[in-house]
Amino acid sequence: MLRRNFLQRLGPLGATLAAAPGLVAFTNEPAAKRGPNPPYLKPGDYVGITCPAGTIDQKEARYAEVMLGRWGFKTKLGNTIGKNWNQFAGTDEERAADFQRLLDDPMVKAIIFGRGGYGTMRMMDMVNWEGFKKSPKWLVGYSDITAFHCHVNRNFGIPTIHARMAGGFGTIEDESEISLRDALSGKPEVYRWRPLPLNRQGHCEGILVGGNLSLIYAMQASSSELDTTNKILFIEDVSEYKYTVDRMLMNLKRSGKLSKLAGLIVGGFTATKAEGEGYFTISMEEIIFEKVKEYGYPVAFGFPAGHQRPNLALKFGMQFQLNVSNDICVIAEPNGLNPMLPIPFGHDSITAPIDSLPIPL
Amino acid sequence: MIQVPPYLRKGDTIGLVCPAGFMAKEKTDACVEILGKWGFKVIIGKSVGSQYHYFSGTDEERLADLQEMLDNPEIKAILCARGGYGTSRIIDDINWKAFRKNPKWIIGYSDITVLHCHLFQKLGMASVHAPMAGAFADGEDEFVLSLKKAITGNELSYTIENHAFNRTGEVSGPLIGGNLSLLAHLTGTPSMPSLKGAILFVEDVGEYLYNIDRMLLQLDRAGKLKNLAGMIIGGFTDCKDTITPIGKTAYELIADRISGYSFPAAFNFPVSHDKFNVALRVGLNHTFKVEHTQVTLKGKP
Repeated sequence: MLRRNFLQRLGPLGATLAAAPGLVAFTNEPAAKRGPNPPYLKPGDYVGITCPAGTIDQKEARYAEVMLGRWGFKTKLGNTIGKNWNQFAGTDEERAADFQRLLDDPMVKAIIFGRGGYGTMRMMDMVNWEGFKKSPKWLVGYSDITAFHCHVNRNFGIPTIHARMAGGFGTIEDESEISLRDALSGKPEVYRWRPLPLNRQGHCEGILVGGNLSLIYAMQASSSELDTTNKILFIEDVSEYKYTVDRMLMNLKRSGKLSKLAGLIVGGFTATKAEGEGYFTISMEEIIFEKVKEYGYPVAFGFPAGHQRPNLALKFGMQFQLNVSNDICVIAEPNGLNPMLPIPFGHDSITAPIDSLPIPL
Repeated sequence: MIQVPPYLRKGDTIGLVCPAGFMAKEKTDACVEILGKWGFKVIIGKSVGSQYHYFSGTDEERLADLQEMLDNPEIKAILCARGGYGTSRIIDDINWKAFRKNPKWIIGYSDITVLHCHLFQKLGMASVHAPMAGAFADGEDEFVLSLKKAITGNELSYTIENHAFNRTGEVSGPLIGGNLSLLAHLTGTPSMPSLKGAILFVEDVGEYLYNIDRMLLQLDRAGKLKNLAGMIIGGFTDCKDTITPIGKTAYELIADRISGYSFPAAFNFPVSHDKFNVALRVGLNHTFKVEHTQVTLKGKP
């Protein structure tokens, strides 16, 4: 019985290895954890838009459609757009079915989710991932979509994109959207940002994982639980009390999720709640750093992603180098960085430096 | 299997500590007075009235105070004066050696759920989920008096009226639970009980409705609900909602979340952040009977 289980498990692993021979290059990761990369998008490819949590209206979908069209992509809109069932874009079954349709549509090369809110983990277990495992596509979103990021990374090792969603697209293309376009098109990611006082300097390499802290926390001890060993962990959150952030981080720490990181990148912790919390005067950075101070890996605060502008695209499930020094923080895909080039701050396709404070949406 | 600390007799000493949030010392006056009236001596720990930002002292100070109470053989029970947040910041640094040899009752709720779960899971020790110091301000009501019964070795028997969402059945098993946010907080850590065969009780305060749903879904996806013997749903007080309402009450969300399972369940049980908060002996075997007319929960000492 045990042997049969073992062979059953070996089956798909063998298939994965055969499908993606290049993955042996990731030496500090068990090969089984790396699935194939979704193909990057070419002009004329279809992008699906669906709402697994909260809804977006037709006007918001239209903005996204126009923007994607400008990038050369066609759009397929799911039927959850404009749909309302309490605070969700349809019932759990409806949202799962809409996502499933786009997931299994061979024309669709990427799915950009409408918005976060809450609800992805209510429909996630209804999804059949078999087609996606065989022919993966890019899943794009953040906040509540972290449930997908964690589940897909843990179970299939297929990369996903943490980025602005369809509901956040405006009429003017900004750096968040440009970074998403570049990520979808396969341009290697290189970001530089200004160091903050509590950073811990160092250099590391590892697969980037993470997302919204509340959702990483909500996946704990489930089949979607994030494996953080040797990973670069990115976290962000919005509208939480400081004590809640402390409590969530204590959960990650007490369950061993912070002790074996390759590195930690902290995005926006915005719109922090304070009412009734007059005494919690420790800063958010101090709260976070306290949980990791006993370890030695690099820690970089202030990465411009999360519930803020800009919210730069990050490819989860892919190998990155993180360098935290006295005067600059850099995260880059190994093939994206030429250390000899003098480089400005910010996303390298953008001329303006990213030195503004995060602006909550 | 579960170890039961010795019940208290007149003349025994109870230690008062604050392992989490800050509490002004004078707010424990009524509690100290009533415990005295019951015939107990009270030792007030240094953490009561002490303050470090939000907490009742630094982690080191709160730990030292709790440790001293655990190690002092004269102290027969430790009453946590207040919850808040902070117990899990010190729990991994507690030395349980003296406590194992000389067990005593640990009392509290809310953030103290961390201690209840840890004691059950890691030490196999019973504890008391009950009103804390603040509740004594209103005098000796039935809820405060239920604590006296719990620590002096009486049978605890609670009968409440039916609720429309109840699911009938009769089961027995160890009673475990506490604050839902803290159960979610312990999920994935070594302090979290398996909950297999357990009667789980939950309550919470001031949470967003979507978050109540998310936390229950978290417990369910972590396999914590599927093997329950029964479930007791206490008060979900001062719930908050998002701008676009979730469209359901806390009890409706909970009823939906457990609809796939067949264990008996009772709603509106008097365990809450409100004054309706009876003492429950965590870890001890209880019988839980949900009938069409009423609900009874009984636990022998």
